[in-house]
Amino acid sequence: MSLVVAILAVALIFGLRIYVRMARDDIGLPRQHIGMSRWRRFRASVDWVLVAILIAICALGLLNLYSAVHGTKHAGKFAQQVKFMLVGTGAFALATAIDYRALLRLAWLGLGLAVIALLIVDLVGRGAKGSERWVYVGAVGGQPSEIAKLAVILVLTKLIQDTSGGAKMSWKALVPRVVALVIPVLLIALQPDLGNATLLTLIMLTIGFLALRDLWPMVYTLFAMFLAIPILWETMHDYQKSRILAFLDPSADPNGTGWHTRQSIAAVGSGKILGKGFMHGTQNQFQFLPEHWTDFPFSVWAEEWGFVGSLLLLSMFAFLLVWILNVALRSRDHAGSLLCLGVAAMTFWHVVINVAMVLGMAPVVGVTLPFISYGGSSLVCFFVAMGLVSSVSLRRHGY
Amino acid sequence: MLVRGAGAGGPSSPELVGRLRWVVLVLLFVFGALIVRLWQLQILRGDSYFQLTVQNVVKERYLPSIRGKILDRHGVPLAENRPAFNIYAVPRTFSPDLASELRHLLGLSDEEMAKVKERIAAGGKRAPKLPVIILEDQPRERAARVEQERFRLPDIEVHHEPYRYYPQGALAAHLVGYMSQMTPEELRRLAGSGYTGDELVGRYGLEAMWENYLRGKKGKERYAVDANGHRLDEATAAGLIEGERQTDPVAGYNLVLTLDVELQKIAERAVAPYPAAAVAVIDVETGRILALVSKPAFDPNVMTGHLTKAEEKFLEDDPRKPFIDKTVRAQYPPGSIYKFVTTLAALEDGVAQEDEKIDCKGSIVRSGTTFHCTAAHGPLDLSQALQHSCNVYFWTLSERVGLDRMAQVANEYGFGARTGLGLNGDSPGRVPTKTWYEQRTRFKIGYTINSATGQGDVEVTVLQMAMAYTALANGGTLFVPQVVDRVVRADGASVISYQPQVQRQIQIPPEHLAILKRGLWRVVNEPGGTAYPYATSDIVSITGKTGTAEVKAKRSKKEIQEIRGWHPSGTHAWFAGWAPSDHPEVAVVVLIEHGGTGGKVAGPVAKQILEGWWTKVRPHNLPPAPPPTLMNRVFGDLLRPITPAIQPPAPPTDDQEPDSEELEESAEPVPPEPEDEP
Repeated sequence: MSLVVAILAVALIFGLRIYVRMARDDIGLPRQHIGMSRWRRFRASVDWVLVAILIAICALGLLNLYSAVHGTKHAGKFAQQVKFMLVGTGAFALATAIDYRALLRLAWLGLGLAVIALLIVDLVGRGAKGSERWVYVGAVGGQPSEIAKLAVILVLTKLIQDTSGGAKMSWKALVPRVVALVIPVLLIALQPDLGNATLLTLIMLTIGFLALRDLWPMVYTLFAMFLAIPILWETMHDYQKSRILAFLDPSADPNGTGWHTRQSIAAVGSGKILGKGFMHGTQNQFQFLPEHWTDFPFSVWAEEWGFVGSLLLLSMFAFLLVWILNVALRSRDHAGSLLCLGVAAMTFWHVVINVAMVLGMAPVVGVTLPFISYGGSSLVCFFVAMGLVSSVSLRRHGY
Repeated sequence: MLVRGAGAGGPSSPELVGRLRWVVLVLLFVFGALIVRLWQLQILRGDSYFQLTVQNVVKERYLPSIRGKILDRHGVPLAENRPAFNIYAVPRTFSPDLASELRHLLGLSDEEMAKVKERIAAGGKRAPKLPVIILEDQPRERAARVEQERFRLPDIEVHHEPYRYYPQGALAAHLVGYMSQMTPEELRRLAGSGYTGDELVGRYGLEAMWENYLRGKKGKERYAVDANGHRLDEATAAGLIEGERQTDPVAGYNLVLTLDVELQKIAERAVAPYPAAAVAVIDVETGRILALVSKPAFDPNVMTGHLTKAEEKFLEDDPRKPFIDKTVRAQYPPGSIYKFVTTLAALEDGVAQEDEKIDCKGSIVRSGTTFHCTAAHGPLDLSQALQHSCNVYFWTLSERVGLDRMAQVANEYGFGARTGLGLNGDSPGRVPTKTWYEQRTRFKIGYTINSATGQGDVEVTVLQMAMAYTALANGGTLFVPQVVDRVVRADGASVISYQPQVQRQIQIPPEHLAILKRGLWRVVNEPGGTAYPYATSDIVSITGKTGTAEVKAKRSKKEIQEIRGWHPSGTHAWFAGWAPSDHPEVAVVVLIEHGGTGGKVAGPVAKQILEGWWTKVRPHNLPPAPPPTLMNRVFGDLLRPITPAIQPPAPPTDDQEPDSEELEESAEPVPPEPEDEP
């Protein structure tokens, strides 16, 4: 385990050194740093707190994944996840190196690509459990819904940036842009992936609430959405309906849909204060939770590390969120701040929905726990997102 | 306007700064809610969830005990156990999909499928998580197929377990009994006595009566499984399960019977030609049952878990009623074998003399009804009357002693009361008295006359009659019939040993008994006797009485299955007696249901049984020969005195050809030497 963490750390440092060389000219350091060694300038400008908390969370995630898949036919997923993390580290470095303001110029292009990918998935995609969430380019598959979240954050940032600072946008220009933001939500909902569609909506609403000057239009929109719920219910698939119903009354159908929730709750509860110990969770080791490495990693963690461990993990996420908000507040421009807000919102809702689902407080949906869940798309996306935050943080000083 | 130009604010995000308070509140609230929920689950309810997860992986299974064997007096097994494959399922996980999968895999019939579903339903009500037997005693191929496909059949298990087996097949089936699935009502009644409800329980005969001794005590196994129902390895299981992982089952006690399997076989062979019959052979000195035959019988191996609906219907529709034990349960009119009661009553009251002659003209008329004798016998004395079974003689005696006095003597010999064997619902029979008739209608002299010859309303069981003749043979000791000699543990240690139990010592003057015995000896051994020459044996001297009991034509003309040699209106053929005549050792009663005349039909059967007993069974039961002397050891066979264990048979008479089987047996033994003749 420590070996893995060491490799990861070395890779991270190596990657950071490369990007520093790449982005040297771009980095604006406070005047007093000029003349210092490159290493010291680098150390002073990189957001080490962010890096440290990410390493810590990733380490816990790998530990947890090891326990979850060890000795099963899914044991190969651990090595796979390590590879994803290496790729993710590279992506993080790249996102840090590239100026986020440059990226914002590509925001609409990104959204366009994401929508195309989603369309491909909706039309020809293949997936498990009757819903299509994957798209393949050659042998590399990915879930466009994860990319869509990033694209939407970028687009929203750009949109709000464009409309703030005195520049007025005409209704003619604004309405198509807002509608364009709704398209990925609809496409994801059509996959059908209700969890991520809801998540995307929540991200957009959160950014809106935190960044918009005038909140009333959003309140109206929300009200309209509540009115639309019955219509949505009618268009839902039976399994989706039954999942929501099972969430509302898990004991109604003990072996059916509510079973996952009940087993997950039992796993969490059975951890008690200190947990059953690493690799000793019976619910986890004997597969009472199907695919617990993607959707239910928190139940594995809570079972094996107990209340204390759960608290630790939640604190780490809370600290991460606080730190991202801190970066948002210290950002040198509105765009950076908005970007960090978007990433914070995405992280927040992922964590909350996933943990609430594990604890039986939300319906079972395919929403991952950042850096803990197994899965390349989600992991790399979060690394990129954190890279954006890192990028904002790196460029917080001076113009 | 959706978005207005930012008038004021710092470089970053003025809106965010303004709403920071809300952000912090929401963060605190949401994470607080998650932590409160964690607190609730992990700390407040942690222990119960922990138990729940233990229950998820730790399963329990009962380990069947080895049922006690039922052995004959020499240790020959009548009921034992053999290994069999039983298929178990857990009701909770037994989905319709799984059911059809299993059906397809094993090629189950509709009936088997119905049984499986019934058991799953019953088990689901009791303990849905505990495995129940769904198919017992399955062929090896089915077991192998289930084992192969285990990963597709969650919670279906095959166990190699002892299964009840009756090596002698239908031999002594009514006595040994059989086992069958416990019913829910029985489980309710016996809850708390260690039954789980999916086991077989003794249903008939000794299996039912001695269930508590035979069944032993179940063990329990606790083991760990993963979510797919696959067993986890021993080391993992040991880490998960606290306390005892296995309680070993305790084997049941073995029953050692007084029955002699060889004699039982001889008796069953003897009644083989007849569609329905009953035989009881009793040890005269102890009242122990040596053989007990009820025919038609059933195969307990089929009855125990393998009875199909069709077979069950066939057995139930049989008019001969195979499920009624004809030795203890069914009641029959005894006919002339009951005449000893009339004889003894008259002798005791002093209203009969051995040499008194009564003229039989073929019939008598009483209150307008003509009672017919079997023939016009002419003047006969008492023993001649017994010899010819002259009804008129005993009718006359009965008028002298009266119905109640006869009933009194009959009661003394055990009629009208249960024998005390307690097996298969033994019947008390019926000995009518004046009061009994008066309570119903009114008493008529004809009833006395009917009773005198064992007709009318007199009803007895075969075993009652056998115990009565045992008492006659041994000089008046009426025993409680005994079939279980002792109860032993599986390792052979004795648990209970039963001694012969005397029901009543009948005060019977020896001279009266002698008169009766003379008469009964003549029945078999003198020309003109009703059993001569049918039961006359050259091998062992037999004494006895024949009976031809008429049955009341009470059956409705319902469709009755045609059976050759058996018709519901035919007379019952009886023979009751003992052998050897002078020093009786065994008493035998033979009933051939609706078989015809006693002497001709039942006589030869009794003879065959008693001869078989004398030549094949008795020698094994004699006390062992004394240890060889020094001379014997030195000179061996040259000096060994030839003491034939059996009486060498006399050369066969001209008119009777002995069985070829008997010839084989008797050709082997020692050459007869006059001086060694006992």
